[in-house]
Amino acid sequence: MNTITFTIERFDPEKDPAPHIETYTVDVNEGARVLDALHAVREQCDPSLAYRYCCGSGQCGSCSVRVNNEPVLACMHEAYDGMAVSPLNLPVERDLMVEMKSYLQDLAGITPGIFSGYLTMEANEAIRPIRDCIECLACVSECPAIAVADFAGPTAMRQEMRIALDPRDDRDRAALTVDEGLFTCTTCQRCLEVCPKHIAIPGKAIEKLREIAHREGLTIPKHQTVAEMVRATGRSVDHIMPTVLEQVPDVIEPVGEVRGEVGFFVGCMYNGRLPDTALKMLAVLRRNGIRVIIPPEQVCCGSPLIRTGQTDFIPELKRINIDCFTKRGIDTVLTMCAGCGSTLKNDYDTPYRVIDINELLMEYGIEPPVSSSVPLTYHDPCHLRRGQGITEEPRAILRQLTDDFREMPARCCGAGGGVRSGMAEVAADLGRDRRDAIAKTGAAAIVTSCPFCEFHIGEHSAVPVINITTLLFEAYEKNDEESGEETDWKDLPCRDIE
Amino acid sequence: MPEDLVTDCHVLVIGSGGAGCRAALEASQYGETVLLSRTLTGKGGCTIMAEGGYNAVLSEDDSTGLHLEDTMRGGAYLNDPKLAETLVIESPDRFRDLAAWGSVFDVDGDCVPAQRPFGGQRFSRTCYAGDRSGHEMIATLTEQIRNTGIKQVQETSAIDLLMDGRRVAGAITLDGNGNLGAITADATILATGGGTRCYDISTNCAAGTGDGFALGYRAGATLIDMEMVQFHPTGAVYPPDSRGRLITEAVRGEGGVLKNNLGERFMERYDPERMELSTRDVVSRSIATEILEGRGSEHGGVYLDVTHLPAAEIERRLPIMLEQFLQFGVDIRVQPMEVAPTAHHLMGGLKITPDAATTLPGLYACGEVTGGIHGANRLGGNALADTQVFGKRAGESAGKSPVFAISVDIKEVLATEAARCEAYCNGTITPHEITRELKRTMWENAGIFRTKTDLKRAEATINRLQNLVPKATTRRMLNECCTVTNMLTVARLIVHGALLREESRGAHVRQDIKQDWTPADSPFGHTVQSLFGTSIEDKRGTA
Repeated sequence: MNTITFTIERFDPEKDPAPHIETYTVDVNEGARVLDALHAVREQCDPSLAYRYCCGSGQCGSCSVRVNNEPVLACMHEAYDGMAVSPLNLPVERDLMVEMKSYLQDLAGITPGIFSGYLTMEANEAIRPIRDCIECLACVSECPAIAVADFAGPTAMRQEMRIALDPRDDRDRAALTVDEGLFTCTTCQRCLEVCPKHIAIPGKAIEKLREIAHREGLTIPKHQTVAEMVRATGRSVDHIMPTVLEQVPDVIEPVGEVRGEVGFFVGCMYNGRLPDTALKMLAVLRRNGIRVIIPPEQVCCGSPLIRTGQTDFIPELKRINIDCFTKRGIDTVLTMCAGCGSTLKNDYDTPYRVIDINELLMEYGIEPPVSSSVPLTYHDPCHLRRGQGITEEPRAILRQLTDDFREMPARCCGAGGGVRSGMAEVAADLGRDRRDAIAKTGAAAIVTSCPFCEFHIGEHSAVPVINITTLLFEAYEKNDEESGEETDWKDLPCRDIE
Repeated sequence: MPEDLVTDCHVLVIGSGGAGCRAALEASQYGETVLLSRTLTGKGGCTIMAEGGYNAVLSEDDSTGLHLEDTMRGGAYLNDPKLAETLVIESPDRFRDLAAWGSVFDVDGDCVPAQRPFGGQRFSRTCYAGDRSGHEMIATLTEQIRNTGIKQVQETSAIDLLMDGRRVAGAITLDGNGNLGAITADATILATGGGTRCYDISTNCAAGTGDGFALGYRAGATLIDMEMVQFHPTGAVYPPDSRGRLITEAVRGEGGVLKNNLGERFMERYDPERMELSTRDVVSRSIATEILEGRGSEHGGVYLDVTHLPAAEIERRLPIMLEQFLQFGVDIRVQPMEVAPTAHHLMGGLKITPDAATTLPGLYACGEVTGGIHGANRLGGNALADTQVFGKRAGESAGKSPVFAISVDIKEVLATEAARCEAYCNGTITPHEITRELKRTMWENAGIFRTKTDLKRAEATINRLQNLVPKATTRRMLNECCTVTNMLTVARLIVHGALLREESRGAHVRQDIKQDWTPADSPFGHTVQSLFGTSIEDKRGTA
């Protein structure tokens, strides 16, 4: 037996004006789950505690709750001393019970037919990965788009895709799902992160439904414009100043000893819209001994097209972006755009290793920067945190840059998935949500590592947004000021004008 | 008392597992149907947790005759032959119904359902969707229910059948806040599932408390073979709170082997021919014997090993097992599982005709709450088939029932129920104290190996517990008090049946009885229990 103390958010709609936190100390068996701890509270402390449960083996989806704000199945997640249990972020009926019935009732079903044979292997394989849903509604409770837009939600989209893939139901789902908010999803992958069955709803349902919508001519005009631009120029954005690729040579040699060599995939946003940020990052690598090779013929990774279902010429983009590095014998390709990194890692099958700038800096180690006492917070880019699983590296860098690092909840800023271009209102609502979260931390600046987040949060935040490598660049400038020594690390070589 | 708490319908279905959902879908073709469920629709019951599969004769090389023989032999010939025959003949059609409604069972090549071998069967006839077969069925059925006009009354319990004389005319309900109500119906279907929660170690979900057996019994229905409790050979043993959690038979179907702490594949000694894929009663007793004789594993089980299978195969065919064990720190791709028997299924239950009619007018039943289909031991894969075959039959029979003009004074009935609830509010002991003692005595005295002495001990404990009044601290706990009362009734029926049956047969083993007959030529038939008496059928003509 172990004795554990933990809190539960309680709410009795008949008595309580608002939810309140209660602390309980109970005896539980070794290896007890959260559900066992809740049973223990009911038996040892307060029999009125209300929570749902049934199968006890992770298959019925009744017992979703949050532990320290993360949704889990109470019957599968191990209980521990100090945990904070609260209901899912859905309307609370009582204590840990939330309203689920109306949502479940509205999930679409396939049209019953007359038996005409079993599924083909192909249909079976296609449907299977999105069929495991246990309807626990964790995804629905955490979806940022639902909070601000008229969106049916992740598992409703999963169910629509399951029907779309089923040859036994020939109704057209795409038009319907557009009305249900298909284009409001930012593909932030929060739904996948909290899914106890690991169903990749953005990649396997949302983007695929958008592909169908695209084939039927239902793509948002602004998304079509982006696709047209990529087709015509190889780039998803235009530029008003010289691009990175126009400014730098094919190879940038580091200052001093060569500690490593990478190819650099610049990405449209840094190349055309935020070239200075990219140049500062290159200077940081130059100072830290990394040789960078930059093939000028690289093009858009295709992310804005894949996210919006416009996949017609993706194979051509992939071919160019793979060939330009392999023909130079490069085995590691660096990305500093979270979206490009996620796309190269997850949507491509690259013969080279793809590494994000934060990973690279931590892997090789960096010259210690001057630390300050400026309070800083960090926004996790969705395509970095959930797309690439990178959360610790940027924090480790930040802790070297400030002794006052402040966390804030990780949530989508609203820019991804084509929402910023196609659904500006939805994106703005989510951006304002970030502004409030940033303000709550009291930080003097918000640091991030994604051009879309930088751009979008910059429009809404009251405090400045800084790219993590820019911050590092500025700290190195201070290093030089303090030491009085200065090398030419900032003087990047220029591309020869032909 | 609020009067607007009475709902009327043509067919009331109690329970939303596989059988209840199927019955409701069928009944809804005939008139207004209410699907009453103490959980959210589809989330209660054991179907959604059923892992292994669904038995159906689909191949030309297989035959329903062979399936029937396997079922009868596995059931130690205690099965009602007509029910067993109905099961095997109609199971394939009901599987096709599921396919027509969108089920996504695994296929072996284009449009050919995949089938795996299961214990006690001479043909690979268990259809599956990985190891989430029951979940696939519930997903399919609930999709269809949402498409129909079936009225779902959720998180509300039936605490008694509503009687109009001897006829069942609906049910008395209690919602999650402790409010009484009534649903009147021309026909009522009990599809409340199993009840092995009265054992300390059980695979059943929280709703597996056997309420339907108790409701039927109190209403005067006849129940048969209640002593026939299937102990599934492979339940989890560690950590303590997950003891009993089902480890699907599919693990053995896919090639898993059982070993003791000496590394011996001990099934060689008990059933060298069928080995791990012997019937569940045999495998359970073999494992229990190994443990009792000191050849058990670290946490008091035996080892179930799939490490010789390719990792990819385990990931594809047993994803839930893999995931569940990983949650508890065991990677079954490289480490053996520890398993021990766990109370799984009640083969006994309400006596029904092939049309799913019980012995009470107006009451039909389907699924695990019924008895007779599986005899003294159920074959893995026959339960999911049972839910669909008899769910449809119950729905059809109930749907075709004539309109019934109720004559009972519902207010009066509700007043009686309110008094019962009042008594719980003044109870003296918490419900969980009663269930804790009940579970322990049932596991220790009415488990795999039974004697008259032990059974009498269990009976005495149950009698003592039945004299206590469980206490509802808040009205929301009234449900729990009703459930505890029902669990005690189910336990008593099991123990009485076990005392009545003075032979070993299938899952029921009486160590204190010597017998010189095989199951096929046993002189005994069903044990029969109702409010009006108990007996065992004896073919020798003596009582």
